[in-house]
Amino acid sequence: MTSRRRTWLAALILASIVFPGCATVHPWDRDLLAKKSMRLVPLPHELAADDHIYFSKEGSAGGMDAAGGGCGCN
Amino acid sequence: MQLSAASTAANVRQRLGAAACLLLAGSLPAAAQAPAPPAWQLEATGLLYGEQARARVVEPMGRVTRLYANGRALSLGLAVDAVTGASPTGALPSSQVQTTTGASGRTTTTTTSSSILPTHTFEDLRTAVDLGWVEPLGTMLSVTTSAHYSREQDYASLGGGLKSSVELPGRRITLTLGGGYNRDRVFPSGGTPMGLAPDSDPRTPGDNPKEVTTGLVGLSHVVSRRWLLGVTASESREQGYLTDPYKVVSLVDPATQLPVAQVTEKRPATRTRDDVLGSSVYHLDHDILYVNYRYYWDDWGVRSHTLDLKLRHVLGVASWVQPHVRVYGQAPAWFFVYGLTHGPPLPEFASADERLGPLRTTTFGGTYGFHVPGSRGEFTLRAELLYQWLVGHPPQPDEAASGGGGGDDNLRRAIAAGDNGTDDGRHLGTRIGTLLIGYAVPF
Repeated sequence: MTSRRRTWLAALILASIVFPGCATVHPWDRDLLAKKSMRLVPLPHELAADDHIYFSKEGSAGGMDAAGGGCGCN
Repeated sequence: MQLSAASTAANVRQRLGAAACLLLAGSLPAAAQAPAPPAWQLEATGLLYGEQARARVVEPMGRVTRLYANGRALSLGLAVDAVTGASPTGALPSSQVQTTTGASGRTTTTTTSSSILPTHTFEDLRTAVDLGWVEPLGTMLSVTTSAHYSREQDYASLGGGLKSSVELPGRRITLTLGGGYNRDRVFPSGGTPMGLAPDSDPRTPGDNPKEVTTGLVGLSHVVSRRWLLGVTASESREQGYLTDPYKVVSLVDPATQLPVAQVTEKRPATRTRDDVLGSSVYHLDHDILYVNYRYYWDDWGVRSHTLDLKLRHVLGVASWVQPHVRVYGQAPAWFFVYGLTHGPPLPEFASADERLGPLRTTTFGGTYGFHVPGSRGEFTLRAELLYQWLVGHPPQPDEAASGGGGGDDNLRRAIAAGDNGTDDGRHLGTRIGTLLIGYAVPF
């Protein structure tokens, strides 16, 4: 299996876990979700610093950014 | 009855009208006095990073964002990295003098102990600038365009990215598609080494190109009033000069298992990286639990699992604390070695860089966030401790002394795993401390 196919297969499996049901969440039920702290990345500056640290100290990369790289540290 | 009904209806209309007038009368002054939405956002961050007996980094970062009423946003980010200290050369410990070319030019590392990893000192200054533009297209779709440029002593990067997010009807599911392209240049200090050749061999001056193309697809899902889930998959393809020009590989005498020479490392010129990231944000009664798991693999053979947990505990209306645990483990690249046997022909590729080895990282720390009374800004203060090591058991003193016992592989693995030999001769991993100070304020 090519790496590309593995990517999509893994994404499909995770997506099936992520979307288990169709319960309605009304707009007036989004009080908690409206908080900044309820974002997937609540502190972008921490994420940027961590991406830099771990990219330079480990063999892996990737996550939520499309561009990435831009550093000769690894 | 008809007169009575008509009278009642008229009465209701009058009362509704009066109520509407009261609402308008009450709301208009309030609206007139409401503060204007912020037009700017400032984020300032300072990172202090220190490895035990190795590198030190001071990195101030800043970002200013102009927010427009129609949802458009323009951001400018600046960062400076000041790096000093030492980095492992990749060579095994030796009591002999070993010469390697470092990032700051030619340096000589003299190792006086066979239990300490050779390092070379270096210093560098990296400056980076990036621009971002968010353009909403209707109420459900937005497009983010970004560009960046960074420059350091021996590396330059120019790149851009495009990311589009669309909310599906019902606003419970957001689909994100993105891509990026970097065109980087590597120009090692002292020139580019041959690769798997003696470090003293002549080097080639000039630039080496490196291209990185990245694609990303993501989904986020509002599961309930308290729960947000996301999954992101990305792939990046790198091609060009991917070798670390300052790393070497020891050549080990097959009889004594001691390093007798060294050659520069060499890696393949292409690399395809893939990863899938699953994220969950769950609001408990008072606290918020963040869980992230990433699986990564590439065609160099590196496979890794990363689990990241945070729990935000609200202390009051103006402050919170957030403990953090991260666990990371990776399988080594297929060309990773602790050393090569001196004598037989060398392989096509080889690297002793521990970042391509069977590496483990644990992170413990916490963030404290608070608002200053009377200000809309939020301060965050984060302190973390990282511990990194290569998988393997430290050699027992008698094994280390005899060079055997537990096996040469164990010995080399343990030697390569750490530079901070303790009094009893054992080798531990690398400790890293970070301090991150952040401030974000709309104005």
